[in-house]
Amino acid sequence: MDLKPATPNERRQYYREEWNVKDIPDFILNTLAHREFGFDHMGRGPNDRYRVFQNSDYLRKFMRYRTPFAAYSSVAFYHKPRRRDGWIKAELVFDVDAKDIPIRTCGCDNVCEICLNQAKDIVQGLLDTLKGDLGLSDIHVVYSGRGYHIRVLDDGVMGMDSDVRSQIVKYIVGSEVPRSEYSSHGMKYNLEHFTIPFGYPQVFTQRVKQALFAVNLDTEIDEVSRDIKKAVIKHRELLENDQWGLFRKEIGPVRYSRLVKGVASINLTLVDAKVSIDLKRILRLPSSLHSGVSMKSTLIKNLETFDPFQDAVPKFVYERKD
Amino acid sequence: MVSISFLNPLSPEGKDIVRELGSFEGISQDIPELRRLVTRNPSQEIADDKEIPSNYLELALKRMEWYIKKKHDREFNSRRYSFLSDQSITRYDVIAFYLLCQAIGVKFGPNSRETRVMVESQGDLIQERLGKLSTEESRLMVEKSLQMLLKDDRVHWTFFQELLSTRKIRLTDLVLDRGELILDREDFIERFAPRIEHRNPSSMYQLLIGDELKELIMVKMIMQETEDYIKQVHKKARIMVEPNPILLELADEVAEVLAEPMQHYGYGSGRGGGGPMKTGPLNPLAFPPCVKKALEGIKSGGRNDAIVLFMTPFVSYARLYPDVFRMNISKRVSDQDPQLEITENEVLPLIYEAAQRCVPPLFDDQPQEKVNINAKLGFGMHSSLKMEHEGETTWYTPMSCEKIKLHLPHLCRPDDICKKIGNPLSYYNRMIWEVRNQDESDSDSDGTGSSNNIAEASTGNVNANDEVKGRQIGVTGKNGKSDDNSGEV
Repeated sequence: MDLKPATPNERRQYYREEWNVKDIPDFILNTLAHREFGFDHMGRGPNDRYRVFQNSDYLRKFMRYRTPFAAYSSVAFYHKPRRRDGWIKAELVFDVDAKDIPIRTCGCDNVCEICLNQAKDIVQGLLDTLKGDLGLSDIHVVYSGRGYHIRVLDDGVMGMDSDVRSQIVKYIVGSEVPRSEYSSHGMKYNLEHFTIPFGYPQVFTQRVKQALFAVNLDTEIDEVSRDIKKAVIKHRELLENDQWGLFRKEIGPVRYSRLVKGVASINLTLVDAKVSIDLKRILRLPSSLHSGVSMKSTLIKNLETFDPFQDAVPKFVYERKD
Repeated sequence: MVSISFLNPLSPEGKDIVRELGSFEGISQDIPELRRLVTRNPSQEIADDKEIPSNYLELALKRMEWYIKKKHDREFNSRRYSFLSDQSITRYDVIAFYLLCQAIGVKFGPNSRETRVMVESQGDLIQERLGKLSTEESRLMVEKSLQMLLKDDRVHWTFFQELLSTRKIRLTDLVLDRGELILDREDFIERFAPRIEHRNPSSMYQLLIGDELKELIMVKMIMQETEDYIKQVHKKARIMVEPNPILLELADEVAEVLAEPMQHYGYGSGRGGGGPMKTGPLNPLAFPPCVKKALEGIKSGGRNDAIVLFMTPFVSYARLYPDVFRMNISKRVSDQDPQLEITENEVLPLIYEAAQRCVPPLFDDQPQEKVNINAKLGFGMHSSLKMEHEGETTWYTPMSCEKIKLHLPHLCRPDDICKKIGNPLSYYNRMIWEVRNQDESDSDSDGTGSSNNIAEASTGNVNANDEVKGRQIGVTGKNGKSDDNSGEV
């Protein structure tokens, strides 16, 4: 399937015949009047901002008449959304864009089935950590058109500032190599991250594993030579059974530590951290059309079975003649 | 048994001690008992009788002095401060703590260097005091204080929001499961033992959590409470009519203690002498890796952020006001460069060059970014730098390493020096000193000593590292004139 932009006619068809205001998730509809909306009418970025809708009917009418190129709503809730003022709280968001995955296995220049699937695996891993380690709930996953948005509406985190959010990002993506030296009663012990089956070291181990299985010889990782990459490819099947100790031995301990350091710094780009720390960001409105690629931004009920090329394709795409 | 208030003066026991004292009356009177305790301490070294604190206020200053000297004085002798770890002074120490917090809160407020030093010194003092106890006793104390601080057996990590926000602790340092912080041995074994292979869960607990993590959390929480208390004092003081003159006097004396290292032993790195740092032509040899990388040109996304938010503040502060963080006084560009000559002739050209070297060149498709650069220099949203617009926006200080990692991860390629600093500007300040020394010995030997400007240095490739070794960017010298960097790029 090629991802062609939607024509103005196709947009009109989508919003008048296919789209229903009830497709917008409840977590947005229930808080509609507290959110700022933004629109992109010409395909040049969302410059029609500070819009507020008192109820879903106003929003429905707006979408049907204006058939915007793109629609967005704020992750923040405001007392005065029209002035972006009186900030109450904001969803905690993670943006996994298939196009920006640090180690892509496909090599396509936009997005394709392979990198979208890879994005999905990443999202699954992040979700496990958000729920498991951090014990968060009220988490929604939305297909954005080119990747995935994880939107957390847990009240425990919605009031948090950018600094705390940035710590959460670092934790869930595994952007710091866990320390390996520990001491007790004056004795020093060495514990590599993979020997600790819980907490942050475990998160880190999982992210490294994911990255190492995606590595190919052209992958650029800081200070990781072609030789190391070759060794990774040769020995990574050991990791399928979590034989990390053997794997590290095969790579060599010094090269191994260089390798994980490189992967850690790459991990920070698993999500777009700017989005996560921004307390006033606008995000693509679920159910709206991503006109650039002619796909529907879609709230996902079951991530495992979700297939964007089945579940997020608007009808007009099938009716195209060419 | 040591009193909890010896570690945490803000504990209920500590508050009782303050309540007992009542008012400020007699606060500066001699306390013979305190003198006696100090002189009686077997590990105490006394060089001069004047060193013995004889009242609350003097004790308070000794607390600060201990921290400052420990940090900055190479001849620091801990035995002169032994009394600070002697639990028999608890009663006096608690009062001294409150006096300090109040003085600093009233006079300097929560965002001051004085507050930062007070909070850090309290943290260090707790650790020092714990270190003097037996393992058993220390463990018991930590356990007891934590119980009070955490209030509950089950603690969700979001409870530490403030500590995380101020980066006193890192989320990755905590052991979490289902959102809960795991500190307790039984809890640990129950949750994790089934997963642990080839190792004894109990010894794993000792290593990963044990005394160390508990102590860390306790210390950081008390530091946070201290900070919060100063904040509270500051808030109240603004409504109150007249602060107690004793507090104001103490605050001045605290400031004196803090200023001392700048005069005597050079602040920070322990060298460089006092007073503001000299500004001078930029030296690319001293640039941190991220700046060097940005100078090579940004090829992927993030051109705008790299040039406008990252390079503009860095280049301007490095050239005009490199010790902004040490001085902690915000200034305008024109305070440092009244005619804006350096800004026009050295700062902007370098930023423009970096912009030009982007792929595609930044101003080709986004000429409006020039306006944004001016805005970040404090000159409002205008296409040229005019004095009358200065102040419409603020002069952005350089992004911290932390921020760079988040916003511009491709730029961050840390080297060994990066580990010791938190902001690229600190890297530059540290390096410039070393490079200058190197430079001096170089120019001594080749006898040129001339400074070549960036236009010449970068006609080819600005791989500043080797190409321009020993040269300096921009020519200002004392006349402020440059021969060939018109700023047209």
